[in-house]
Amino acid sequence: MDDAASFLPLSPATLHILLTLAAEDLHGYGIMQEVARQSEGKYKLGPGTLYDNLQKLIQRKFVQELGRRPGDDDPRRRYYRLTSLGRGVLAAETDRLTVVVREARLRLQVAKPRRA
Amino acid sequence: MFRSLYRCVLRLHPSRFRKRFADEMLSIFDQGAGKSAPVKLLLDGLVSLVRQWTLRPEFWRDVAPAPQPAPEGIPSFSTLDPFRPRAGAVIHGLVLSTAIFCLTCFAIRYSWIHVLHVHIPEVQFDIPLPIQPSAISRQHAISATSPLPPAEQAQITLAPPGLPISMPKQANRAPIAAQDRIAESPTASDPQSQVSPAARVATVVTNRTAHPKHRLVPQSAEPSDHREVSLQALAGSGLLRAQDQSLMPLADAGALAQAPTGDGNLDSAERRRVLDRAIANLKKYYFDRDVAEKTSDALTAHEKDGDDNAATEGAVFADLLTMQMQATSHDMHLIMEYSRDTLPEHPPKQTSASLARYRQAMEQENCMFKKVEILPHNIGYLKLDFFPDTSVCESTATTAMASLNDVDAIIFDLRDTTGGFPNMVTLIASYLFDHPEYIYSPRGAPTEESWTGSPVPGNRLADKPVYVLISASTWSGAEQFSYDLKMLKRATLVGETTRGGTHAGVFHRIDDHFGMGIPEEKAINPFGKTDWEGTGVEPDVKVKAADALQMAQQLATKTLQH
Repeated sequence: MDDAASFLPLSPATLHILLTLAAEDLHGYGIMQEVARQSEGKYKLGPGTLYDNLQKLIQRKFVQELGRRPGDDDPRRRYYRLTSLGRGVLAAETDRLTVVVREARLRLQVAKPRRA
Repeated sequence: MFRSLYRCVLRLHPSRFRKRFADEMLSIFDQGAGKSAPVKLLLDGLVSLVRQWTLRPEFWRDVAPAPQPAPEGIPSFSTLDPFRPRAGAVIHGLVLSTAIFCLTCFAIRYSWIHVLHVHIPEVQFDIPLPIQPSAISRQHAISATSPLPPAEQAQITLAPPGLPISMPKQANRAPIAAQDRIAESPTASDPQSQVSPAARVATVVTNRTAHPKHRLVPQSAEPSDHREVSLQALAGSGLLRAQDQSLMPLADAGALAQAPTGDGNLDSAERRRVLDRAIANLKKYYFDRDVAEKTSDALTAHEKDGDDNAATEGAVFADLLTMQMQATSHDMHLIMEYSRDTLPEHPPKQTSASLARYRQAMEQENCMFKKVEILPHNIGYLKLDFFPDTSVCESTATTAMASLNDVDAIIFDLRDTTGGFPNMVTLIASYLFDHPEYIYSPRGAPTEESWTGSPVPGNRLADKPVYVLISASTWSGAEQFSYDLKMLKRATLVGETTRGGTHAGVFHRIDDHFGMGIPEEKAINPFGKTDWEGTGVEPDVKVKAADALQMAQQLATKTLQH
C-alpha cells in the first residue's frame, strides 16, 4: 500500500479512468462514456487526454492492455483492464479523498454561522 | 474533411503513440462524429499533438516488441535497451573515428618513436627486387597481385643456396628452368665440360657444399662466377673484410682487369653517388629508423675520413660498405652487393611455361623427397633435399608423411638440404605437434604460414621422438626447420653445425651493378636475440655428418627401448 500511496494524489483524469475500469474492462470510447456518466456530464475526457493518460497508466502498470476482442462492433477497439496495482492505487486515492471529504465537511460545518 | 484533418493530426504524433493509439482515436472520432462536434475532437487532437511532442519525450521512441513466449527448449531473444543513436551522432562518430584512425596511421608511419616496430611501407612505384629465398614468405603474401614465378624462385633457391641477394644475377641470365639446372648439375664435376650458365651455378653449389665455411674458387667456373661466389659467400657468412680481397685468386683479378664495366675505375664521384643512394635506401626501407640514421651517419663519416678512397673496384667498395653498415647496425642481413653483370631493372615475369617447367621439375624429382623409408625398429626416415613450395608439392608431402604415420620415431635427414619455402617447413612441422605452434622465421613479421596447422587429422606423429640430421651443408630453410624444432624442444639435432644463412632482407637495386639487401621488417625471435645467421644451428649431438644417421638410429632405438 505504501507503493500505491507514492503515486498519490491522482489527477482527475487518472482517477476517473481508474474508476471506470474498476467495474469492468472497457475500450477507450467506453471509458469516455462511462466517465461522462459517472460525473453526470460534468467531466468529459477527450481522446487525446484519455490516451495520454492510458499511456502513462500502462507504463506504470496500473492498467493492462488486453487487445482487441473478436466480434466487437469496431475491430479497431482495444480493451483495458485495471491491474491489482491500479486497484490498490485507486483504493489508496479513495481513502485519501475520504479523509479530505470528511475533513472538508467537518470544517464546513464548523464554519456555519450558529443561530442565536 | 475533418476526418482527414484529424488523421493528419494523428499521423503527426510521435511514432510510438501513433502506432499504439491512432486507430482507436480515429475509431472514437468515427463513433462520436454524430454526437460531438468534430471540431472539438480536432482541437483535442491538436492539443494532444502539442502535449506529446513537448511533455512526453520519454514516449517518443518505439519500444522493443514484447518477447514472444518461446516453446519449450527454444531460447527466446529480447532487446534490453531500445536506445538508438541519432543519425547526426552516428555521422559525427564516423568522421571522428576516421580522423583518429588516419592520425594514428600517420603517427605510426612518421613518428621517430618505434616502440612497436610497426612498419607501414610507403606506396612504391618502382618495385624492389625481393631477395630470394629470403622474401619467399613475402611473395606468397602478395602472390595474388604480383606473384614471383615459382620457376625463378626455384632457380634461386635450388642453386647457389647461400646467395642472399642472388636473384638479379640469376635473372639477368637467360631464363633457366629449375629442371635444366637440376639436370645439368652433374656437369659440375667435369671441369672441362662446356658449361652453360645453369651448370656454372650448379658448379658453385657443389663447391660451396664441399667447403661451406670458406670462400670458394670453383676451378671450372668463369671469372664472373668467381666474383659472385666470393662476394656472396663473404656476405652470407657475415665475415666480410675489405682486405680479404687481396686473397682473391689471380684469375679473378684478371677478370676484373677485363671487366667491361668500371670494375677498376670507381672514382670518388661514383662512390659518392652509390653511397648517397645507399643511404637513401637505408633511411627509406630499413625497419629501424634510428639504426638507419646511425648507419647512414657512419657511412658518411667513413667517406669524409677518406676510408673509402682505396676502394676503386666495385666489389671492394661494396664489401667495404657492407662492413661499415654491419659494424654500426650489427645487422648481418644488411648487405651491399656488387654485380659485374648488369642488374635487371625489373624482376622477370612469371609465365605459364616457367610455372609448368617448375612443376615438371618438381614432379621429376618427387618434390625433392629423396627417401621415405621405414628403418629397423619401426623408425621412419625421410630425406628431403629441399623444402618445395606447397602450392606444387603439398600432396607429395602429405603422402610422404602419411606413409610414416605409424612409425615409433622419425628421422629427418636434412644433411643435403639447401633451403626452401617456409610454407613447406611449416607444413611438415605441423605433423610434429598436437596444437598450433609458432614457427619462427627471421625473414619477416609473422604471417599465417608461421603457425603450424596442428593437429593434423589422423596424424600419430605428434608425440613421437624426432631426430633431425644436419651437416655443415644444411642451409637456410632447413636451418629454420632445425632451429625451431630445437628451440621448441621437439627434436634432437644430430650431426654438424649448419652453415648459417637466414636470407632476411629485400633486394634494392641501386644502379646497373650495385644493389643492397635491406631487412624491411623486424622479425622478433621468440627464443632470444640471435638466430643462426653466420653462426649456424648447433646440433644437440655432435658427430660427423656421415655418421649422423647411424647415431640418430642408435638414439632412437635407445629411446624406444626405455
